[in-house]
Amino acid sequence: MAQVRIFESSFKELIGDEVNFLQIAAPEISDVKEKPEEWMPSSVSGLICSYCKASFTDVQQQREHYKLDWHRYNLKQNLLSRSPITEEEFNEKADDVSSISGSESEKEDNLESIATSQGKIFLKNNKGVVFSLYRCLLFGKKDELDNNVLLDRLQECHSNNQWTVIMLGGGHFAGAIFQGSVPVLHKTFHCYTVRAGQGGSQSAKDNRSGTQLKSAGASLRRYNEAALIQHVHDIVEAWRPEIAKSSLIIYRATGGYNQSVLFGGKVPLINRSDGRLRTIPFSTRRATFTEVIRVHSLLSSATLYESFETLANVLKHEVKETSPKRSKLKVNNINRAKSRENIERPLPVICSSRSNSSERIICPIMVEQLSDDDDLYISEQEISTKSILQTFDDSLTFEEKQKLRKKSKKSKSRNKRQAERDAVHKAKMSELVRLGNIEDFELYIKNAKVINDDSDSKNGLMNQVVDGHSNTLLHIAAIYQQFDMIRYLLEHNADPCLKNNSQQTAYSSTQDKDVRMVFKNFAAEFPEKHNYNKAQIPIPIVLTEEQLEKKKQAKKLKREKEKEKKKETFLKKQEESERERFLKLSEREKRALAAERRILSQGGMVTARCFLCASDISGKVPFEYSGNKFCTIECLKAHRLAHPTVLY
Amino acid sequence: MAFRVQFENNNEIGVFSKLTNSYCLVGIGGSENFYSVFQGELAETIPVIHASLAGCRIIGRLSVGNKHGLLVPNSTFDTELQHLRNSLPDKVKLQRIEERLSALGNVIACNDYVALVHPDIDRETEEIIADTLQVEVFRQTIANNVLVGSYSVLSNRGALVHPNTSLSDQQELSTLLQLPLAAGTVNRGSSAVAAGMVVNDWCAFTGMDTTSTEVTVIESIFRLNDANPSAIASTMRATLIESMT
Repeated sequence: MAQVRIFESSFKELIGDEVNFLQIAAPEISDVKEKPEEWMPSSVSGLICSYCKASFTDVQQQREHYKLDWHRYNLKQNLLSRSPITEEEFNEKADDVSSISGSESEKEDNLESIATSQGKIFLKNNKGVVFSLYRCLLFGKKDELDNNVLLDRLQECHSNNQWTVIMLGGGHFAGAIFQGSVPVLHKTFHCYTVRAGQGGSQSAKDNRSGTQLKSAGASLRRYNEAALIQHVHDIVEAWRPEIAKSSLIIYRATGGYNQSVLFGGKVPLINRSDGRLRTIPFSTRRATFTEVIRVHSLLSSATLYESFETLANVLKHEVKETSPKRSKLKVNNINRAKSRENIERPLPVICSSRSNSSERIICPIMVEQLSDDDDLYISEQEISTKSILQTFDDSLTFEEKQKLRKKSKKSKSRNKRQAERDAVHKAKMSELVRLGNIEDFELYIKNAKVINDDSDSKNGLMNQVVDGHSNTLLHIAAIYQQFDMIRYLLEHNADPCLKNNSQQTAYSSTQDKDVRMVFKNFAAEFPEKHNYNKAQIPIPIVLTEEQLEKKKQAKKLKREKEKEKKKETFLKKQEESERERFLKLSEREKRALAAERRILSQGGMVTARCFLCASDISGKVPFEYSGNKFCTIECLKAHRLAHPTVLY
Repeated sequence: MAFRVQFENNNEIGVFSKLTNSYCLVGIGGSENFYSVFQGELAETIPVIHASLAGCRIIGRLSVGNKHGLLVPNSTFDTELQHLRNSLPDKVKLQRIEERLSALGNVIACNDYVALVHPDIDRETEEIIADTLQVEVFRQTIANNVLVGSYSVLSNRGALVHPNTSLSDQQELSTLLQLPLAAGTVNRGSSAVAAGMVVNDWCAFTGMDTTSTEVTVIESIFRLNDANPSAIASTMRATLIESMT
């Protein structure tokens, strides 16, 4: 596969005096299969399946057959007017094909469609050399591929090598006129026309919404759009004679606005029906001078293939590359007629590495044992480098990394080794805490103390940060809900006030109620041990007997006071109402009442009774209704209801 | 007996009605003529029910059923479902099914024992059919046509299929269904036999256009001349066949 610039003389030689289109499509394998010999059922009774070409000995067998996938498959084959397959074939097929829908993709796209999909044409000269070039160089969009004009066009291409390339898009303009592969004239510029947040041109937005927004940006863009058109107009006008001489005008102007720049207006810059106009048959980047040069060089090069076979190989390779996309499309088309099969997915890397990890660590040892052999020595090297690299890989868990690190490095300073030992130690501790194995943990801590025997007091040990999120042991125990372990840690001076990276204390690192209960209980039992406020543990308040008594009494007092107040207000109200009524009485009645009271106070008997209930009301201000006196308003009401006033 | 009826000047009565051995559904029409023909013939033995499905009158093509059950498409309204539930005999199971091919009457043909279904029907639907209608389900085509429900009519006594069904296919179907089978037409040559007629074990209704020859074929293949639902063919069949095998 060699590239040839079409302006070079070698291309002219290549063309020679005869060029033909290459027939890519392999001689069609005749789709019309010779009709399979008419299948004659062996039984005349109808115990057959005409789709699967099978016959049966009894009805039961036949009915069972109709429920098989094989039958379903053949049924669909039959509907697609394909010949049925035998049971053996089907079984083979069912093994390797997940879908038995019977509707496989219609005929894989043949080479020709792939070849032409790139906008290229494939040619063959009389020496049998196969080459390809972009179709747009020779033929317009609507032109038929014509063998007769092909040679003329090719030669013309070579004779007039002046091309104009214009690219427009997103406020960018880039244009150049090439002679051969040398740009003789070129110009690029950029105007701010694209709406920043949303994209799209301002004019499109204006048209859509109908109203012209009056923001500063909008008017700026509107102005720039007009300026861009003017600018392009000026440039093209200046280049007009050169453009007129060029054999091809290659342009890219996507979207209504960009099109209108070139072809719009009363006097269009370029005549749309110009036979030399071509669009760029591949995707391009932003319109810049380098991009224009790239487009030109791509278009002006022809690809040479040694033979038809290499071409076929190249094309097939491309098919393979594009096929994943196609298979994705297929997935969208779910065949609901069949139940979904279980797809065996590979375990995530982290899991699989875990399951393999033991083996991996053992490997070098095994190899060392056998290391007399040269070959084996080599393989050992391989593994060890791999394991070194793995320490930097994300796919391993923290502990595994620690292990690997521990194994691999021997030429490290003492400091580093110490750090490593610490890390392993922490990992071990957190593992034990996570499992909630108190006895082991205790034992481990004891050993650790013996080994470390220095600065780390037990307290320090308990409050160590043990992982990447600066979780302490207590955090881990809380997260993994190890109730006993939490209790144990707290009893052994683990500090619940410590926070991890996400600013959570051990208590707040879990949502679990039971775990939180453990913390709360501990806090209630040892209220003085830590600052539980800081640990974010709410302490249940416990009151003494005395305090309770006090509270009770206070309550009682309050209640009594309230009662008294109520009584007072009630009396007051009564008095008030009485006063009011008294004020309303006439002078004579007032006097009568006063007399009554006087008599009463002197021990005399004055009988004034309620008109209804006849209770004694002497000395009280009575309620009056139509000349009768009542003790209460209720009595009055009752009387009034009993004797309704009749209006005549 | 076979009766000729018309639904508002339309001969495709299989579209507007559904007849089984335990109930009969009739589309809600402008006049009661259609309904009263069914009512007059069937009212003594089975309920004749006015029905619509998804607001449509083409109940015969949308639903499928036999004496054990009735399947209606997913588009059926709740009110319609409730109405059907209230009107159908208690023994009849009613089920609304989620199936892409929603014209169940066109894709399923059944009697009380077997059902032919469209090759593309869902596995789940197939199971529901088997459970609700208590039938054995076979995926089939009739005369290379996937709409088995449109091109075949089954009763417990016989079956009528598309006129283009080849002899060997007829034989195969006949052994598969264990029924006498005939290829024929209705409504003066219409090959959509299920659209042109409805049938149960003792009575058939065909479009008004059906010729007497067609009626003769129908009456003979469905054995309608000896009238009346016979106990041997309906209630006792299962026991008899069990004892015979």
